[in-house]
Amino acid sequence: MADQGEIIPGSAYAVRRFTDALLRSGGDTEVTIRLSNPSSGDSNSQLGLEPPTASDMPLSPALVKALKPTADGKRQIEAVISATALIAVAKQYQVQDIVNWLRREAQGVVYYDNLMRIDTITVDKFLGTDCLYHITATE
Amino acid sequence: MQATKDSFYVALRDRLVAVDPSRTVTLDGATRPAIAVIENEPPTGAPLLCDTFYLHWGNAKLAPLSVGTLMAMDCTISYCTKGSVQNANLDRGRDLASLDNDLLAILSPPQTAKCDYSTGSPVSLGSTIFWTRPVLNAAKSTPPYVGRDVIVTVFFYPEVIQS
Repeated sequence: MADQGEIIPGSAYAVRRFTDALLRSGGDTEVTIRLSNPSSGDSNSQLGLEPPTASDMPLSPALVKALKPTADGKRQIEAVISATALIAVAKQYQVQDIVNWLRREAQGVVYYDNLMRIDTITVDKFLGTDCLYHITATE
Repeated sequence: MQATKDSFYVALRDRLVAVDPSRTVTLDGATRPAIAVIENEPPTGAPLLCDTFYLHWGNAKLAPLSVGTLMAMDCTISYCTKGSVQNANLDRGRDLASLDNDLLAILSPPQTAKCDYSTGSPVSLGSTIFWTRPVLNAAKSTPPYVGRDVIVTVFFYPEVIQS
């Protein structure tokens, strides 16, 4: 039996499932992140002559919040994404540091056919486990 | 002007391969010499990588005291390092000196042929570009990083006819 104050093993996953359920209750929105494919690394890509190819990564459950536009009038959003969904995709890419991976490889968040550049990525952790990823992006 | 930027970058990159072949970086999933032009890279929000030379192009203007159409364009080359974890980052100063040495080596000789790279392969434009001796600004220390900006002015004749 667990001592008083000790975290019951696996309880963090219950919190993650709870946050997923909360996201689904908000309408089960899907967010798409566009990831750059590895470049060829040749002269053309180094000189900016060869655009990197990209793959779209749909993630659900998620929520999208419209934020106050920037001072110069650009639209800004915050995508709240389930860690369960993001971790599952990251595993396919054999990635462990998800924040660093997104900052390096993600071209942005696709929102109504517009590619919005990622500004910040933060993670909500509960009981030592990633539960929610908050991504702010600007058009 | 683009030919000047491309020729300068390619010259420095090729010289870096010769001077220090181990100085490579993985950018966008590809391993390449550790030198990049900021405006040619995908506009991600990722911080710049350590131990990599980044070229930023600045002002371009008619070269002072010149006759004809000679132009001058500033290029800032920035780089930083944090040393190695094995040495508790205490070797960051030495690593910065190593970067300084590599940069001084690749900037010499201060000239290269100007080529048009717009088709993907170099086409000689029959002229050269040349540049000033580098000005190494004071090292900026933001623990555990230490870095520096180096400014070079590149001179070239524009490809357009000016009246």
